[in-house]
Amino acid sequence: MERETGVWRLVFLALPLGVFTLLVIWPLASSFYYSFTNWNGFSSEYDYVGFENFAKLWTDKLFFNAAVNTVIWMVAAILLPTLLGLVLALLIDSRIPGGSVFKSIFYFPICLSAVVVGQIWIWIYQPDWGLLNTAVNAAVGSDLSFAWLAKPGTALGSVIVAWSWQQTGLSMVIYLAGLTSISEDLLEVCEIEGASIWQRIRIVVIPLLTPATVVVVALSVINSLKGFEILYIMTGGGPFNSSDTLAMHMYNESFKKYLMGYGSAISVVLFLVALTIIGIYFRELKKVDEIYG
Amino acid sequence: MADVHAIHPAGKEFNPWPAVIFIVLVCLALLFLAPTAGVLLSSIKTTREIALGDLWSIPDRLYLGNFTEVLQNPAVHRYLLNTLMVAIPATSVSLALGVLAGYVFAKLPFCGSEALFLVIIAGMFFPPQVILIPLYRLFNAVGLIDTLWPVIFVHIAMGLPICTLLMRNFFATVPNALREAAILEGANEWQVLTRVALPLSLPALAVLATLQFTWIWNDFLWPLIFTQSDEKRTIMLGLVNLKGQYSVAWGVQGALSLIASLPTLIVFLFFQRYFIKGMTMGAVKG
Amino acid sequence: MARLTIENITKSFGSVQVINGVNLDIAHREFVVFVGPSGCGKSTMLRMIAGLETVSGGQIRIGDRDVTNVAPSKREIAMVFQSYALFPHLTVAENIGFGLRLAKVSREEIDRRVADVAKTLQLEMLLERKPRQLSGGQRQRVAIGRSIIRNPKVFLFDEPLSNLDAALRVQMRLEIARLHQRLDATMVYVTHDQTEAMTLADRIVVFNAGRIEQVGTPIELYEKPANTFVAGFIGAPSMNFIEANIDTSRGAPAAAFGPAMLPIEAARLPEGPIRLGVRPEHISIASDGEADFSGTVEIVEKLGAESLVYVQTGFTPEPVTMRAPPHLQVSPGDSLPLILDRARIHRFSADGAAF
Repeated sequence: MERETGVWRLVFLALPLGVFTLLVIWPLASSFYYSFTNWNGFSSEYDYVGFENFAKLWTDKLFFNAAVNTVIWMVAAILLPTLLGLVLALLIDSRIPGGSVFKSIFYFPICLSAVVVGQIWIWIYQPDWGLLNTAVNAAVGSDLSFAWLAKPGTALGSVIVAWSWQQTGLSMVIYLAGLTSISEDLLEVCEIEGASIWQRIRIVVIPLLTPATVVVVALSVINSLKGFEILYIMTGGGPFNSSDTLAMHMYNESFKKYLMGYGSAISVVLFLVALTIIGIYFRELKKVDEIYG
Repeated sequence: MADVHAIHPAGKEFNPWPAVIFIVLVCLALLFLAPTAGVLLSSIKTTREIALGDLWSIPDRLYLGNFTEVLQNPAVHRYLLNTLMVAIPATSVSLALGVLAGYVFAKLPFCGSEALFLVIIAGMFFPPQVILIPLYRLFNAVGLIDTLWPVIFVHIAMGLPICTLLMRNFFATVPNALREAAILEGANEWQVLTRVALPLSLPALAVLATLQFTWIWNDFLWPLIFTQSDEKRTIMLGLVNLKGQYSVAWGVQGALSLIASLPTLIVFLFFQRYFIKGMTMGAVKG
Repeated sequence: MARLTIENITKSFGSVQVINGVNLDIAHREFVVFVGPSGCGKSTMLRMIAGLETVSGGQIRIGDRDVTNVAPSKREIAMVFQSYALFPHLTVAENIGFGLRLAKVSREEIDRRVADVAKTLQLEMLLERKPRQLSGGQRQRVAIGRSIIRNPKVFLFDEPLSNLDAALRVQMRLEIARLHQRLDATMVYVTHDQTEAMTLADRIVVFNAGRIEQVGTPIELYEKPANTFVAGFIGAPSMNFIEANIDTSRGAPAAAFGPAMLPIEAARLPEGPIRLGVRPEHISIASDGEADFSGTVEIVEKLGAESLVYVQTGFTPEPVTMRAPPHLQVSPGDSLPLILDRARIHRFSADGAAF
């Protein structure tokens, strides 16, 4: 009986594990390998160059620029949708009419592709007839034709806003689920003990939402690390690399400059960062699980 | 739902909060809808109108030329077909593999299965850029570049972690007693899976199908990497490409964006609660 | 003064009326228990006193103050929940001092009062723990501590012992009784367990389908139930009911059931069939010639301190329950002559009311 179960286990796991190993595990290992070479992407000859690629990272101004931008991107991509999502969740949770309509409005951008989202916001930021400039001009009577995406100082921020528009709904939905898991009894205690709305939110609701916050932050971090597509669409990393992130930099080095070896080194760095974050996430998740069970 | 801003039950005094909240939400909703309004408006105006600065006004007539142009373009038909040819197989297969793997992890655990499960889950968290290059090399070596096969395969592989996670979590809620009863009646594992567990898991499968389909349909990274000729483009890639070609064809772009988003929008509207369930289920369980 | 007055309270949820006109006067320092089956409205009534549910009609007064539309936190009440409702992310000390912290009482004052309460409830060693580290009984004490600390006028308990196992329940019952003796407060306690009601209450209010069936001391309810519902609800094992007819054929009226004829006297005899009620402790084995009727023993339950004997009578649909001394030699199938204690027979008309 046990042996038969064992056979079925193998049969069931064969294909999934096979596919996963071939297309995820093995490429992961290969990435590590290529980072030690100077492969250019299509020739079959390349040399082993040791840590040369990694040494190059230290002196690569573009790499540091991309790293800084990635940090800015991640921090903003965490804060903005998380906070806005929390506020929206609290507002919608208060049982005003039309709650599900509001939920759909804020959440539906998640089903749009990065290409479409990018396109939509390119139109908003359009210097001459974009909504942003048009609205500002209508409001204060100015004559703005500011090119939001074409100026180094505002390019990254503009993409972040577009990104947040799409991701806020996700954080809202997770917080809404978290809110329903707060026991009614606890809120009734707040009423009996005389908590004001702010006290209730600050002392009870937000702490009890910690499990949801952990999830939201983790998802934001992971999604932002992956946030390549929208940058590619909206700015391509420019202008003047002001919106270049590590993922974008890696893409450019590998597929535009044909420095696959070097690109692999960058992706190794990305991998290590992601690994660290996953580790922290699982650890925090365990802690939170213990407290809130 | 928990009553965070409970309208005071005992007090019958006038409570301004609900009205304030409603107004705030309406304002925010309008702000959120503005970008989408932009696409809608652009699709029903001529490019010329838009270029003259007239996008953000209510049109006095509906210009449907953009839609006809898009819908009659054989390239667009090809893009849509390609995307379908990727999305449907990839979704089905990744679901199937997720069911198989999830069942084992939930019902047939073995020494080290926990660790293996974690390794697979961790695959969800990595930026795909990390394995971009080796995958390119692999498919190049077998001559599959510029076909749709790599896209399908990679989506199956990348979808495996989330499918396994959700199915494993779901199967864990199916009582072991059901499986044991079936085995006593002489069923083998395959029969238990297909006749007992699977029929119960339709809601979970719906969740996964919506998530996977949306993700795969919307993706343009893998098609970008693995396809080169226009023949093989998927719809999102086509949208990007169109932008490059007609750099100022705003109206057509708007119409195409809408057409391209239609399938996932429809899926979203009808299966909204599955979307939400999927996000919270998989995410909360870590 | 913490008198609690409930006047003509009605409550509807939409078109469903769950409370149908309740009137009750609870005196200062009284321990009143609301008891009744599930869905009878006792919890809803309690929550209306707390202010957690709106009142559809009627008035609630605490002391001389009309609190019908006053916020819960301003009614000077405290509530202990069935689920304890402790904040999992706060320590025991923070849980107990929660209300004081909200009222912006000074830190030293909060610490002092929390220490006081902790001492009373023997929680001093647990002040820095989190609820998940406590046992059920400890958690319940923390919940009680939180309600004591603000010196409320009225304590409300919503089935606080239902989540505890049997042994713990007995222990906590005593604690609550001691608490009542020590504090100067009115207590309203909801339970579905009639043992808790009988042991804790100064007065019991029996609820059924949104109305009060009877209000009285435990002994009053036991000895003089107003109707069959109260009679059957109070007392375990519950009262035996026997259908009977009034027979006036032999002059003096008598209740006729089975082979028995019991003389019956009342100011006004009701028409039609009646019901007699007799508690298991008021049936005994008859000596020769004295028996009211005989029955066949179906099952004997030996409890150690006593035995419960279930006797088939032939004129009741269910066997009659009887309390018997522990060493009684009786087996299933035996025929048993039984006699009812005349002074302890309850009489109910067909509509259930006692006469």
